[in-house]
Amino acid sequence: MGRAVGIVGVGQTHHGKRMEISYPDLVREAVVRVFEDTGLSPRDIDGVVSGTMPSMMEGIALTHFYFADAMQAVGKPILKTETCGSTGVSIAHTAYYWISSGMADCVLAVGHEKMNEGDAQATMTTVVEPFYQRFFIAGAPGVFSMQSQMWAERYGIPQEKIREAAAHISVEHHEAAFANPYAHMKIHVTMDDVKNARLITYPVRLLDVCPTSDGACAVIFMSEEKAKQLGRPVAWVKGVGYRGEEYFFGDSDKGVWQSAVGAAKQAYDQAGIKNPRKELDVAEVYNPFTFQEMLFYECFGFCDLGQSPDLVLKGVFDRTGELPCDPSGGTLCTNPIGATGLVRVAEAALQVMGRAGDHQIAGAKLALSHAMGGVDQFNGVMIVGSEL
Amino acid sequence: MGDRVAIVSVAQSPGAESKDNFYDQAYRAARECLDKAGLGREDVDTVVSASSDIFHGGISCANAYYWDTTGAFLKNASRQDGESLFAFMYAVMRIMTGQYETALVISLCKGSENPPNDACTLMFADPFYQRDVGLTETVAAALQMNLYMERYGVTREQCAAVAAKNLGNALKNPYAHRKGKYTVSDILRSPTLADPLTELQAAPKSEGMLAMLLAGEAKARKLTDKPVWFKGYGSSLDTYTLGDRDLLRGELTRAAKRAYDMAGIKNPKEGIDVAEICEPYAFQELLWSEDLGFCGAGEGGKFLESGATQIGGSLPINPSGGVLANNPYVSRGLQRLIEATLQLRGEAGEHQVPKSVKTALAHGTHGFAGQCHAVAIIGR
Repeated sequence: MGRAVGIVGVGQTHHGKRMEISYPDLVREAVVRVFEDTGLSPRDIDGVVSGTMPSMMEGIALTHFYFADAMQAVGKPILKTETCGSTGVSIAHTAYYWISSGMADCVLAVGHEKMNEGDAQATMTTVVEPFYQRFFIAGAPGVFSMQSQMWAERYGIPQEKIREAAAHISVEHHEAAFANPYAHMKIHVTMDDVKNARLITYPVRLLDVCPTSDGACAVIFMSEEKAKQLGRPVAWVKGVGYRGEEYFFGDSDKGVWQSAVGAAKQAYDQAGIKNPRKELDVAEVYNPFTFQEMLFYECFGFCDLGQSPDLVLKGVFDRTGELPCDPSGGTLCTNPIGATGLVRVAEAALQVMGRAGDHQIAGAKLALSHAMGGVDQFNGVMIVGSEL
Repeated sequence: MGDRVAIVSVAQSPGAESKDNFYDQAYRAARECLDKAGLGREDVDTVVSASSDIFHGGISCANAYYWDTTGAFLKNASRQDGESLFAFMYAVMRIMTGQYETALVISLCKGSENPPNDACTLMFADPFYQRDVGLTETVAAALQMNLYMERYGVTREQCAAVAAKNLGNALKNPYAHRKGKYTVSDILRSPTLADPLTELQAAPKSEGMLAMLLAGEAKARKLTDKPVWFKGYGSSLDTYTLGDRDLLRGELTRAAKRAYDMAGIKNPKEGIDVAEICEPYAFQELLWSEDLGFCGAGEGGKFLESGATQIGGSLPINPSGGVLANNPYVSRGLQRLIEATLQLRGEAGEHQVPKSVKTALAHGTHGFAGQCHAVAIIGR
C-alpha cells in the first residue's frame, strides 16, 4: 500500500576513530558521498530526515540545528527521528513513509555519531530511570548479557556451546570486515582470542562487543517514478516493521523477544516472505553483541527457537553459508550508533543493487536490515529487494 | 497523495506544575483522547510521539521511558525530536500510505522536572564558539528583537502589547499556565531578561502532555461528527550560525508557502480564520505574522494595533494565550494545533473566537531566532 519507494544511493564515512575531523565535517563526508554516488544534487532533495543518539552523547542538543548545513538541509523540510539504538532504521522508515504517502519524491536520510567525543556507556546508563534500574543496568553490556543468559537457560543450551558459537560469529565478522572499505575494526582474531579476551560482563568478552566508532551514513530514497528515471540499480523497499515493548527490563520476556518477532513479522507480511531463511539472500542484523545475534536469528525466523548455536557452528550464517549474515562485518566491527541502523539499511541496499564490492554476496536479490534500541526494547526491520 | 486525514479527538494537560508523575500525566492525556473517540489502546494502529532528551528530566532516550504509557506497546510506533508538529506530520504520512487507519500523536514535556529553559537551549549552541558566550534562545531572541525594532521602527510598546493581549486571552483558557490582566507598562516594567526583552515578554516553563487522534477519512467519519481535516503542512530549516542569517528574513516564509500551496490558499489574510502562532518571545508574534503573510514586512506592530489579532478581530492570533501563556517546549507546536482544532469545532469555550472558523493555522518553531519552523493548516 502507498507508493513504491526505492533506495538509489548511499554514502558512508570511513568509520573509526576520526579525531582528525569535526563532527559536522564527519556528517558532511557521508552526505557529499551520497550525492557523488547518485549524481544528484541538494536541489533534488524534497526533504531531509535526520537522527542520532541522545543529546548527552552528542554534546549538543537537537543536532539538526548544528548539522543543517552539513546535511545540505538549509531551506528544506525536515523531520528528526530518534529511537535510541534503532534510530538508524527509524530514519529509513521515516524516509520511506514520507515518499510512500505521496508528500515527497526524493528524501535524504542522514544518521551520524561521533562516539569518541562522548561517553556512550555513561549516556546509556541515563536511559534507565534513576529510581529503580539505573543502579544495576549500567551501560549496554549488562542488559545484553542478562538477556543472553535468559535465552540460554530457557532452551537449556550449554554455556560451552553458546561460547563456541559466539566465538565463531566474532571470528567470521572480524574477517568479513577486511572486505568492507568503510568498516572500523580490521583485526584478525582466532577462536582462542575471543574465548580468552577480557571479560566485560559474563558471558560477554571484549571480542564479543562492538567498538566505539565515529561515523555517518546518508541514503537517498526516491519514489518509483523518479527512481526509474535515474537508470541505475535500485533497492526497492519491500517491507517495513517496527515494534517496541516495556521500558522496565524485568517486565518482558527477552528470551522470546516480542518486539524482534513482531517487527520481522510485519516486514515479512508486507514483503510476502513466508520462509525467511530460504527467501532472503543476505541479512544485515544489528549485532553489537555476538550472543545477542543468535537470538535475533531465532526471533527473525531464520531457525527454530534455541537452535541458532548449532546452525552458527555449521556455518549456515557465514558469508559462504545458506543465509549470510553481516557480510559487512556488521555492528560488531563498526558501531557509530546513530548511523548504525542506517548503515545496515545501506549495506542491504548495496547487496541487492549488486554494488557491495569485495563483500558482495553473489546474486543477492532480497536482503533484510535491522536495528535495535532502548532498554532492550525496540526492534526495527527494513527489507529491500532488487525487483519491485 | 492518498487518503484524506482527519483529527478525531484531542486532549491536553494543564500547563501549571502538576503533582502527577510523568507516567500518570502522560497516560491521562492519551486515555482522555482515546475515550473521546470511543477507542481502546488496541484500536490504535500506530503512535508517533514527540519529545526531546534535553527537555526530559535528565533521562536519555525519552521515548524508551514513556513507551508503554503512550499506548505504543508492541505497535509500530516512532518518535520525533524537538518539534511536536513533526510528529503530527509523520503520523499524517503514515495514514496517507494507507497502511494505518488510526494514529495517536502524543507530545510529552514535563517542564517542572527540567532545568530553566535556557539551561537547555544553551545546549543548542556549539561547544566551541557559541556556548561559552552564553548564547541561548532568549539571547538570540533579544538580538532579533533589537534588529526588528531598528529596521522597521517597531516599538517596545507594540511588542509588549502582544504579551498584554496573550496573557489576557489566557485568562479564558483553563489550560493556560501564565495568565493575567497586564498593561503594556506592566509588561515593560517586569525585570529585564536580555535587553530589550523583559520577563513577561518571554514564555514560562510549563507542563505539556498532549494527545491527538488522527484517522483516515472512512474511519474518521465513523468516529466523529466533527472531523477536522488536514489541509496543508510545510517546514523549513535555516542555516546554523546566527551571524550567517538575516534574522528578519528567516525560513518561516518558505515553510508557510509550502503549507499554503498544499492547502490551496492564495491569500492567507483571507484564507485563514484564526491562527495559533508559536511566540516564545512577544515580538515574534508580530514578526511571524509578517512571515505568514498576514501583513507586510515591518507592519506587525500596526497590524496588532488595528485590533485584527484580538479574539474578536478579523484574524485572531493566539486566542488561547499562545506560548507566552503555556510553554511546554517540545509540545508547543502540537498545542497550537490542538487549540486550532478546538476553534474549528467551536469547542474552545470562553476563548472561542466569535467569528465563523473554517480554516485555521498552527505554527511551531524551535531553535535560535526561529532556526526551524513548521506550519500546519487544518479545516472543517
